[in-house]
Amino acid sequence: MFRIYMRLGLRNLLLYPMRTGLTVVGLAVGIAALTFLSAMNNGWLQNMKANFVLTQMGHVQVHAKGFEKSRRISDYMHATSEVDKALQNMPHIQAWTHRIRVSGLASAAGANASVLVSGIEPENEKKVSRLYGFVQQGEWLRKADKRGVLLGDVLAERLSVGLGDKVVLMAASPEGDIASEVFRVRGLIHSGVLDVDNLLALVPISMARDWLGLGLEGAATDVVIRADAFTSVDGIVKNLKQRLDTHDFEVLRWQEIDPMAEQWTMFADVYTWIVLLVVIIVVLAEVLNTMLMSMYDRVREFGLMAALGTGQGQLFAMVVCETLVLVAMGGVLGFVLGAAASLYFAEYGLNLSQYATAFSFMYMSPIVYPELTLNGCARILIAAMVGAVLAGIYPAWKASRLNPAAAMREV
Amino acid sequence: MSDDILLQATDLCKYYHSGDLNVAALDHVNFQLKKAAFTVLSGRSGSGKTTLLNMIGLLDNPDTGSLHIAGEDVLALSASKRANFRLQRIGFVFQAYNLIRVLSARENVAYVLQLRGMAKKERLDIADRWLSEVGLEGLEGRRPDQLSGGQQQRVAVARALASEPALILADEPTANLDSQHGESLMMLMRELNERCGMTFLIASHDPVAMAAAQQCVYMQDGKVVSPDIR
Repeated sequence: MFRIYMRLGLRNLLLYPMRTGLTVVGLAVGIAALTFLSAMNNGWLQNMKANFVLTQMGHVQVHAKGFEKSRRISDYMHATSEVDKALQNMPHIQAWTHRIRVSGLASAAGANASVLVSGIEPENEKKVSRLYGFVQQGEWLRKADKRGVLLGDVLAERLSVGLGDKVVLMAASPEGDIASEVFRVRGLIHSGVLDVDNLLALVPISMARDWLGLGLEGAATDVVIRADAFTSVDGIVKNLKQRLDTHDFEVLRWQEIDPMAEQWTMFADVYTWIVLLVVIIVVLAEVLNTMLMSMYDRVREFGLMAALGTGQGQLFAMVVCETLVLVAMGGVLGFVLGAAASLYFAEYGLNLSQYATAFSFMYMSPIVYPELTLNGCARILIAAMVGAVLAGIYPAWKASRLNPAAAMREV
Repeated sequence: MSDDILLQATDLCKYYHSGDLNVAALDHVNFQLKKAAFTVLSGRSGSGKTTLLNMIGLLDNPDTGSLHIAGEDVLALSASKRANFRLQRIGFVFQAYNLIRVLSARENVAYVLQLRGMAKKERLDIADRWLSEVGLEGLEGRRPDQLSGGQQQRVAVARALASEPALILADEPTANLDSQHGESLMMLMRELNERCGMTFLIASHDPVAMAAAQQCVYMQDGKVVSPDIR
């Protein structure tokens, strides 16, 4: 019977080409917009996550127990060899590096500014973060150049320093003493991310150890790990927690290090659901209107069908099938249009550079590349079908409850 | 109820309410129909013919009374069982709007057979056979709007007969036809009645229909006033 329901549905819809056409166009526009918005959302979410993680944070970090909460240099790892050993040959790890992270003050020629000092391993850092790619002026740090420093461009501007100028960095040592050291600016960094451009000072980790009195070769505050994909993060964390003594170390996912990023992704997801809901309500209202008009136009026909022995359930199914056919027509057209737009911009990007400042605040690139995912497509498809069934229920119920004799008297 | 009685209606009443006014559309109707009968219900417009036909066809409910068809108390059936009873036992030919407009003549005839669960090839063969029987050979693929009024009524007759029901109800089948087509349709139904032994109950005040009738029942003001066996 399903085939005749579908055939009847299709033919009834084609009987009123103008009405059906307008509904299909309306549905197509809604579904196309939804598909494109969903792809845009995925695109900038992925972009935001990747930028957030790869700018400097990494997918996973290992610290001495309690460091993330205290952020005190005294809670540093005296030796990272145990962590390095645990990471050796672990699957899904692309690279890792060591850092010493400490807040301090930068001074130069009478100007002072707060600074976040990061002692890095120049060669390993290139494999883990994108900081290397953000060097706008000058050059990346060299291992042998112990007094070199890279500054965020806004920080350098505040300090009124340029390439080759001297900068004094001051920070507390693990014992609580203030230690200062003179560095020379080797390069300026521009990432578009406020925290990096306004605060960051990169120095070689070996110099940071000496300057802050951490002494030993393996001392560090962070081991920063880059995974091969976001989906590998949970496995890596689980693996590391099994291999490391959790009394001495803490293993944190990127979301745990800065919950804001995860909240942004969750918010964006909720926002997509809200847009999805709104579009589905609009689609539902449009389809409901069309199906009710169709139902009232065909009261006699439904009466005739009932008189011939078509059961209430069969009439109900018939109208729901017609609604599904209508939504499928609009849905397919809309999905093709939305997917085509998404794929086009996935290739060439959607340039939103005029909002670059706002984007950088959220670790987003101003050129968005929509990403059409299977999950996003399935979500739209299911929502459209659920909307179709919901929109079809009332007209179907009305049609199935008609009194055949009264229905056939209708003019 | 004896074996040769197909239908027995007892004290059927149906009232329509208009403000404070109660109009008796059927007023204690007692009526029976023999198997293989060809009966015409006649009477003026508003005499209750269509209402009685609707009750017998289980399309509407009487307010009081009882109705047995083929020995079954059909008023006691649920809505779904009534639909199934109509499907299995009753064929309809209505005055107008008789066909499903998006289906071809063949598909219209096959529709009821499909509802009965018959296989595609079998139901299409039967539809073609009955369309040929009513003189519509070669027009099987046409939709209702491509057929004349007379041809549409013939498709409706073919549909009613195709499922070989126990009872065929026809409500003013000739009302929208010219006299030539009306007479031809009545002759066709009479011939099928004689040849196939199906029971026909036809509501009509067309003299052609009455002339073709084996039994003519006259109704007035919702009552059967002269059951006359010819």
